[in-house]
Amino acid sequence: MNRIVIGRYIPGNSFLYRMDPRTKLIAMILLMVSVFLIQSFIHMLVALLLVALLLVFGGISVKRVYLGLRPLVFLLIFTFLFQVLFNRQGDLLYSLELHYTVLNLSIAMALVIMWGFTKRFLRFRLLYFLATVAGVFLLFHYLPFGIVLGEGTFSVYEQGLSTAFFIMVRLVIIITLSTILTITTKPTDLNLGLESILRPLRILRINAEEIAMIIAISLRYIPTLLDEANKIMLAQASRGVDFQEGKLKDKVIQVVSLLVPMFIISFQRSDDLANAMETRSFVPGQKRTRLHILHWSGLDTTALAFTCAALIGVILLRVVGW
Amino acid sequence: MNMIDIENLSFTYGGKVEALKNVSLCVKKGEWVTILGHNGSGKSTLAKLIVGLLKPQKGTIRVDGVELSERTVHDIRKKVGIVFQNPDNQFVGVTVRDDIAFGLENLRIPREEMIERIEHYAKRVDMYSYLNKEPQALSGGQKQRVAIAGILAMRTEVIIFDEATSMLDPDGRKRILSYMRKLRDDGVTVVTITHDMREAVQSDRIVVLKDGEILKADKSEDVLKDKETLEKSNLELLLPLEVLHGLEHKKSTNEEIKEFLWQLSLNG
Amino acid sequence: MAIKFERVSFQYRGIDEKGYLALADINLSIAAKGEFITLIGETGSGKSTLAQHMNALLTPTEGRVHVFGVKLTSDKKKNRRQRLNPIRQRVGLVFQFPEYQLFEETVLKDIIFGPKNFGVGQDEAVERAKKMIKVVGLDESYLERSPFNLSGGEKKRVSIAGILAMEPEILILDEPTSGLDPMGRNALLEVFHNIHEQLGKTVVIITHDMNTVYEYAKRVLVLREGALVYDGDPSGLFSRKHVEDWNLELPEILRIQRALEERFGIKLDKSPRSRKELIEALGEVVG
Repeated sequence: MNRIVIGRYIPGNSFLYRMDPRTKLIAMILLMVSVFLIQSFIHMLVALLLVALLLVFGGISVKRVYLGLRPLVFLLIFTFLFQVLFNRQGDLLYSLELHYTVLNLSIAMALVIMWGFTKRFLRFRLLYFLATVAGVFLLFHYLPFGIVLGEGTFSVYEQGLSTAFFIMVRLVIIITLSTILTITTKPTDLNLGLESILRPLRILRINAEEIAMIIAISLRYIPTLLDEANKIMLAQASRGVDFQEGKLKDKVIQVVSLLVPMFIISFQRSDDLANAMETRSFVPGQKRTRLHILHWSGLDTTALAFTCAALIGVILLRVVGW
Repeated sequence: MNMIDIENLSFTYGGKVEALKNVSLCVKKGEWVTILGHNGSGKSTLAKLIVGLLKPQKGTIRVDGVELSERTVHDIRKKVGIVFQNPDNQFVGVTVRDDIAFGLENLRIPREEMIERIEHYAKRVDMYSYLNKEPQALSGGQKQRVAIAGILAMRTEVIIFDEATSMLDPDGRKRILSYMRKLRDDGVTVVTITHDMREAVQSDRIVVLKDGEILKADKSEDVLKDKETLEKSNLELLLPLEVLHGLEHKKSTNEEIKEFLWQLSLNG
Repeated sequence: MAIKFERVSFQYRGIDEKGYLALADINLSIAAKGEFITLIGETGSGKSTLAQHMNALLTPTEGRVHVFGVKLTSDKKKNRRQRLNPIRQRVGLVFQFPEYQLFEETVLKDIIFGPKNFGVGQDEAVERAKKMIKVVGLDESYLERSPFNLSGGEKKRVSIAGILAMEPEILILDEPTSGLDPMGRNALLEVFHNIHEQLGKTVVIITHDMNTVYEYAKRVLVLREGALVYDGDPSGLFSRKHVEDWNLELPEILRIQRALEERFGIKLDKSPRSRKELIEALGEVVG
């Protein structure tokens, strides 16, 4: 549970830390929209460069961001390969003749199996995976001996490559931006900012303060509940529940033996908590003063001005059609 | 002047389980009263009734002369604070500071005063250096101390401890006991609800509950020695007093030892 | 020896791989029969972690634990290849809060849940449930009730019956009497005493209550910051040096005895362990 990197605040003191959470939230949304509007290759690279500059001047280690990206790396590569392989619009850029023969198919299969067995012992798994994929393609091209079972071509079209590129870069930028937000903003501040931004929703009879309270209490109790779930699992394991093995029927009862105590304890908790809140004079919907208040500074105005400029710039570029 | 006045109070859960039967008692201003009883004697129900979490089905509760009703409950909660049993289930804030602030925010205390009070009362329970800590980093006893600070900061006149030490280790328990003493010395009205005789020893008066009825309500000295009453409510005498009782039973005349045992019991 | 710890350390893995050492270099053995052990130590001293090693819920990060012939080491893969479930049947562990384990609609179903997981047949399991509900001091009518409508003390008893029905050779209880009123506590301690005396099982109790240690235990283990600092009989534990060094609370009986000795020079011939014995012994001397 301690390995979750996304959403973890890491203390620091760059300008990103000094910014108001509202600014950061709004700026993030505006920048994300901008990134989606960008259509030119060069502009996208510029955007990527700007995000990199933000990391450097914001004093955030690239490693942290990479840790945030890591769970999504496979998704990114998959989308990339999918686009490259199957999008056949635009000019043909590159093609490779492939011959599927008994010999190279069996070698390819052996290669894949070897990859499956050895991957857990290696450090650069991703690279190893890519090398294996490349190896398979090369096999099909350069080893056309034996009984031929089929022919094919591996071709890359311009449109496929550019779509793949755009999707990748957009995702990387979005994830990087949100990682920056969570690394530099305490959960309480983030919550406060969210509450403040949602306040206009009062017109729709949505109470932002209550939503913020719910989020705050969830933040407070998630670690407690995880700890509790772990203890329940141990208690049931002591009664012979083997969470790693068992048939489907056993699995059902295993889950029930975990969920029922979990529910009952959570209900007890929320009941107690509601009592504690009520006796400390909490009345839902009533006005409260707040200990934490947000400070809007010149930095925030500047930052927001820059982001707005970026968005307007991107829109203009799109309208003009460069 | 009575701080809490309870008359002929009855409460039944779901129309079946009689938790309190015709209970009458009072707590004077600045007094420390212990409500003693076995598990299921109705003592926690009584606490919930006093702070308006349950509605009395029969009888009345008055706090500082005001009768508890739907209209007055919010005012009464400003006067009566309560520390519950489970330290984990009453910590509302994400940090110690936020938790002490919670009640003050509800009372609409201005921010500057809030900051002052938080620091002052965190110091009172020796939690000042923990203000930025998250609850996961605190022991059960520390969480209970934060709860006390949160209530004190609201400047309530009464503080109820509803089995507040029963989930704590010996050190945590002793610590909370010492704060109870300090509170009483500062003029706060204290009500402790417990089955631990060591918590009852220093209070001014003890009320013994059994199956929802008051068995005895008297000066602490008299109740502490009353073996028969205490055992009826699943409680046991403090050991020095049990020994004292045994010696008296054997018609011992050594008054010096008897007095010594009595003093020993008072020192916890 | 049924359970044997050899130089066992356990490190919880925390944020940024910086660990927290919960157990440090523990050597210990426990027999399958005839022991009544209390395990004491301040909150966070590693008591529960130690107990969870005894039925292989946790495995050491250093050193070896032998439980009924199964060897557990820091090699997770090797541990996984062995069948750990039989260990959990032979070493029953009752957690502090019964709420962690009760989940069935009736007490009966909940009690037979454990035995059935270990391959005991329905009829045999029900027989055991009927027997064990009495051992923990409740009657058969409880079997048909819902475990959620019971009082705290009753829930605790049902959870203990659920472990006893697995017929473990060693019974470990994590703070079994916390939150109970004095009579409830005494009654439950008598239950453990009977399980130990009549069924001949080894009982290990984790507790903060020195009176329990002094009155019931034949052997006491003291943990301080993960290290086992004392392993011996209770009367030796409460020497002046230990009490000061380890910030121990004295059992009430000893406290009174020592106070009377200091003030009046009263010396008792026997060393009483229970309230009754103390009063009798004092009655003879003071007269």
